[in-house]
Amino acid sequence: MTWLPLAELLLQPLAGRAVALEPALDHAQLQQRALRMAGALQARGVQRVALYLEDAGELAIALLGAWRAGVAVLLPADAQAQSRQRLSEQTDLWLDSLVDLDGEPLAPAALNLDTCSLTLCTSGSSGEPKLIDKSLRQLANEVDALEQLWGQDLAGATIFGSVAAQHIYGLLFRVLWPLCAGRPFWRRALPFPEDLQRESLGQPAFAWVASPALLKRMGDNLDWNALGVVRRVFSSGGALPAEVSVELGAQLGQQPSEIYGSSETGGIAWRQGGELWQPFPGVKLGLNDEGALRIASPYLPAGHIEQSADAAELQADGRFALRGRLDRIVKLEEKRISLPMLEQALLNHEWVADARLGVIQEGRAFLGALLALSPAGLHALRNRGRKTVTETLRKHLAGHCEAIALPRRWRLLLELPYSSQGKLAQSTVDELVAAPRPTRVEPRKAELVDGEWQLELDVPPDLAHFTGHFPQTPVLPGVVQIDWAQQLARSLIEELPPRFCGMEVLKFQQLVRPGDRIQLTLRFDAERGKLYFAYRNGEAPCSSGRILLGAMQ
Amino acid sequence: MSDLQTEIKNLIIEALGLEDMAAEDIAADLTLFGEGLGLDSVDALELGLAIQKRFGIKIDAEAKDTRQHFANVASLAAFVASKQAA
Repeated sequence: MTWLPLAELLLQPLAGRAVALEPALDHAQLQQRALRMAGALQARGVQRVALYLEDAGELAIALLGAWRAGVAVLLPADAQAQSRQRLSEQTDLWLDSLVDLDGEPLAPAALNLDTCSLTLCTSGSSGEPKLIDKSLRQLANEVDALEQLWGQDLAGATIFGSVAAQHIYGLLFRVLWPLCAGRPFWRRALPFPEDLQRESLGQPAFAWVASPALLKRMGDNLDWNALGVVRRVFSSGGALPAEVSVELGAQLGQQPSEIYGSSETGGIAWRQGGELWQPFPGVKLGLNDEGALRIASPYLPAGHIEQSADAAELQADGRFALRGRLDRIVKLEEKRISLPMLEQALLNHEWVADARLGVIQEGRAFLGALLALSPAGLHALRNRGRKTVTETLRKHLAGHCEAIALPRRWRLLLELPYSSQGKLAQSTVDELVAAPRPTRVEPRKAELVDGEWQLELDVPPDLAHFTGHFPQTPVLPGVVQIDWAQQLARSLIEELPPRFCGMEVLKFQQLVRPGDRIQLTLRFDAERGKLYFAYRNGEAPCSSGRILLGAMQ
Repeated sequence: MSDLQTEIKNLIIEALGLEDMAAEDIAADLTLFGEGLGLDSVDALELGLAIQKRFGIKIDAEAKDTRQHFANVASLAAFVASKQAA
């Protein structure tokens, strides 16, 4: 396959050189359609065009056509009415289809690397979209580097993407790089593993441009043997959990090649398993005074140095390890505290499986810790009490930070409440650490079987009742068990009489402790006004009884 | 333990957000700032404000012995009692 530099993609029509699949598009068709579109854009006097094209083949035509016509291109992050409205001032045409753009073709010509431009939209950390301008030269430099690194491995593989081509990663990996290399790319993004498998196995060779969102959810019914011929699996857009990388390595015979970068910088570095990142060729890295990565790169505007907020440790061999975001530095009474650093210190303790810190502002500002306990941590909590756990962790942290940064409030969980995208917003953490310790429980499931409700409950490790009951060995008080039974019954069973009239045949057989997964059955005998409840831990009965209920007096 | 001491202990816990502490965890002679309970100067400011508000007393900004009054719960209780009597 001959390499065509990005600037020369419209010079010659190359019939038979594959560009896109489903439906097929070859290079001669691409050139012809791009030049006709360029003519149409010029005839209309368009200066700036917004492109929102889910079909990567159409996107390639539109990009090249606009650049040939000297039209600046903007790629919106989404097609929501709000985004269209906001961007309408900066563009004179929004295209989500190329159907009506057919003009007299312009003559084939090289694209000017410095005057052709692209503006990317990304969601800024403040929520306001941020616009990032790039010249064609920046993009061309990056595409060249990718080919040097991986061109031989990929050879003639068909490129499949699970990510949109509107963003920098998808645009480079799914569209621009294959265009220059002469590798066919699949027009539509394939976000589901079954589709990706089916279409991939229909091609003689294939490679994937994927993201953690897909790779974390590949499931276990794929034909791993057949998929093992995948030439390379790229992942970018977020952190890929190490265990997912290792598991895919076992299934596919290669770990994903992760790309670390941003819309501003393009690719910065890559790795295939392990912790250390290898910078891309030509990328020069340094650290600022706070230890955050500073990037000079041929994929940035010439002379520009981008300051990131990612803390890093540089190795002698040029590789580096990432150490969390430094914009999660908070100021407590004028002292700067790095939350990621303290979280890392907490994670080093064997009782902690996961940790996030938040700021509580009550009179003075202090930190609260949201922890997922490890099995050892839960064991310590159950046998030595909450105070031993929090005091031990405070002492453990004391070696890492000033006293002002020691968390004063602790919220102990079985796992942290990540969203389906694997995110946990700082505002959520702040809310959770500020909230009082729980007194109630949410059932994991509740089913009605033969007139009897069967519930499963995870006893929160941090129940407010545990503090006094008992400080060293927290157990769920019987009165709380009765209270929960009544509360949960009221949420499930309609028309339960409102008044508590007493208890019958109350039995407590086994202790219920923090973190236990227990089963609760509830049945209401309306005739006698009796709510039957029974708690079990697996086979072992914990408690049971009848709650007598009556009408309002 | 006097009621005033207990009240001050509870005030410390409440004003400084020491959720996992109980009054009985704070001995009357436990050093509050620096070592001991590990409170810092911002806590001292907060506690000073809370004490003045709760007991309706004024801490004399000029007095040199203010620092000693805040050494531990016993000295604080004695200070509050003397101010209330005055």
